[in-house]
Amino acid sequence: MSIFEILTPLSVLLCFLGVFIGIVMGAIPGMTATMAIAIFLPLTYALDMIDSIGLLIGLYVGGISGGLVPAVLLNIPGTPSSLCTTFDGYPMTKKGEGEKALKVGITASIIGGFFSLTILYFFAPVLASVAIDFSSVEKFLIIVFALTVIASISKGSLLGGIFSGLLGMFISLIGTFTDNNEMRLVPPGLEDQLVYGFSLLPVLIGLFAIGQILQESEEGMKAASHQKIDLQKGNKNTQFSFKLFKNQKINVIRSSIIGTFVGMLPGVGGSAASITAYSQTKNFSKNPEKLGTGEPEGLVSSESANNGLIGGALIPLLSLGIPGDSTTAILIGAFLLQGIEIGPLFITSNQDLWSGIVFSLVIANIVMFILMFFSIKYFAKIVFIPKYLIFPIIVVACVVGSYAINNGVMFDVWTLLLFGLLGYIFPKIGVQIPSFLIGFILGTEAEKYFVDSLKGSSGDLTIFFTKGPIALVLWILIIGSVTYAIIDSRRTKKAAEQNAS
Amino acid sequence: MSDLLTIELSYNNYHLLFPRIIISILLILGMVLLITNIIKRVKNGNLSTFNFKFFVDNFDKVKLFGTAVLLVVYASTLEIIGFIPASVIFMFLVTLLYIGNIRKRTIMISISNSLATTIIVWYVFGQLFDITLP
Repeated sequence: MSIFEILTPLSVLLCFLGVFIGIVMGAIPGMTATMAIAIFLPLTYALDMIDSIGLLIGLYVGGISGGLVPAVLLNIPGTPSSLCTTFDGYPMTKKGEGEKALKVGITASIIGGFFSLTILYFFAPVLASVAIDFSSVEKFLIIVFALTVIASISKGSLLGGIFSGLLGMFISLIGTFTDNNEMRLVPPGLEDQLVYGFSLLPVLIGLFAIGQILQESEEGMKAASHQKIDLQKGNKNTQFSFKLFKNQKINVIRSSIIGTFVGMLPGVGGSAASITAYSQTKNFSKNPEKLGTGEPEGLVSSESANNGLIGGALIPLLSLGIPGDSTTAILIGAFLLQGIEIGPLFITSNQDLWSGIVFSLVIANIVMFILMFFSIKYFAKIVFIPKYLIFPIIVVACVVGSYAINNGVMFDVWTLLLFGLLGYIFPKIGVQIPSFLIGFILGTEAEKYFVDSLKGSSGDLTIFFTKGPIALVLWILIIGSVTYAIIDSRRTKKAAEQNAS
Repeated sequence: MSDLLTIELSYNNYHLLFPRIIISILLILGMVLLITNIIKRVKNGNLSTFNFKFFVDNFDKVKLFGTAVLLVVYASTLEIIGFIPASVIFMFLVTLLYIGNIRKRTIMISISNSLATTIIVWYVFGQLFDITLP
């Protein structure tokens, strides 16, 4: 099928625009790709599915890639996923190799992007075709697995992670259960507003955008210091050339693969992807002591991993309906807006849309590369846009978006503010937002599958173990992820104790 | 044994089954978290000293609470005085708050930021895309 039969000129244009805005927003410290998508989501209400996908994919790719600019220039990760980029990027800037560092990062980004796209393209349909035969028992277990994985990745507190996920699930249960049309958990006086529970979008936007703004205002909205940055010192050594990548082939491939597969794990964000890839690069490096002092090697691994994440995170979303990270969790909102159900049947019953997503990813990556590679000098200036101009705009956009999402419901704006407050409080009291969010999104489905499974077995709980081989495999995965978490937290505790003594 | 692992299902109570399970697990987990925390404190001998810090050091009280108050006021006035006036006033005040002084230049920046944003949002969302505004 030809690319132009599927993508409309408008969707290509929107993809272009999305990448541009994404880079800008990713480059502003404190604004993330997740936030960018959350803010623009309401706008897609008025667009066709294919056009809005172009815009959102563009924002996703641009947002993740844009984070590299402040990471390299200011030592501040623009988005969490470019955390490891600061390790080697900023030292390079200090040496006067800022432009070289940025271009290395951009090139690594596009390679990572295409690598993960290839895996997505071949792997998602396979996974979906396996998942098509899943009964409600398996579907329920997959959700349980998703929650334990998020919790096990969240360093330090497995219980805290599980608690956060279940709390999210609990909040999502507020409202009516569709099976018997009975309302539950609704506080008295709010029966009218909460018939269907909290709307997904104001919850998402509140947690990510408003919460962030409250946190920044607590810290006083400090502007990035206007330091003079010398992007490139005159000598030859500081210039970028593709030859740099000659010795990095294995590094790029390894990091992209790590990024993609970490991305596939539900609820695990970009920071985990780039940290894992970076530490592996360090393990395999010929001169590991040089990493962290301004080696392109480290930059390459961090940036190819965080763009690899994008394709990876889309795999469980498009084949199982389970988001791979918080950004794809918001993409679920986009599909819901258009009335398209995401799950194992998605790819086969929406062939055009599936190709559209893949084509959009290709275009977004190319646009990202061209835009950033040739005009990086101008994008470098974005990091100095003052927050006091940007944040008020975001608030208004969030309020308008929440209000519009159900065609003018004021309660949604209050939901936005409530969850904005929670998004500000949660990190302080140890509730993990990604776990909470995934729990919230999957809560109602988990309930449906759970009740359906029990209906099939007339209340016998052993059905979850005796259903068949797939259920057993899933149980092994669940137990495996929990065991991994326990061992891992013991190890970090021991290391901490050794450091202390 | 098989009685223990069987849940009685009745159509009228379908909606309570799952929430009850989740609440129970949440309570148990909460207890475990609390107890492990207390044990840790006893071990370290600082049971009575409770130095949990909610706010960061030297946090900006004016900006934090100012933002919170303005947000609530903005949301409550939206439907009363309409989208454009409410947004213009809100944007103006918030920008002013974030810059943190009331020099002439600041006021000019705030006014232009608030007017430009409101008009663009109103035009793009309300007119171009026909999205419902307050």
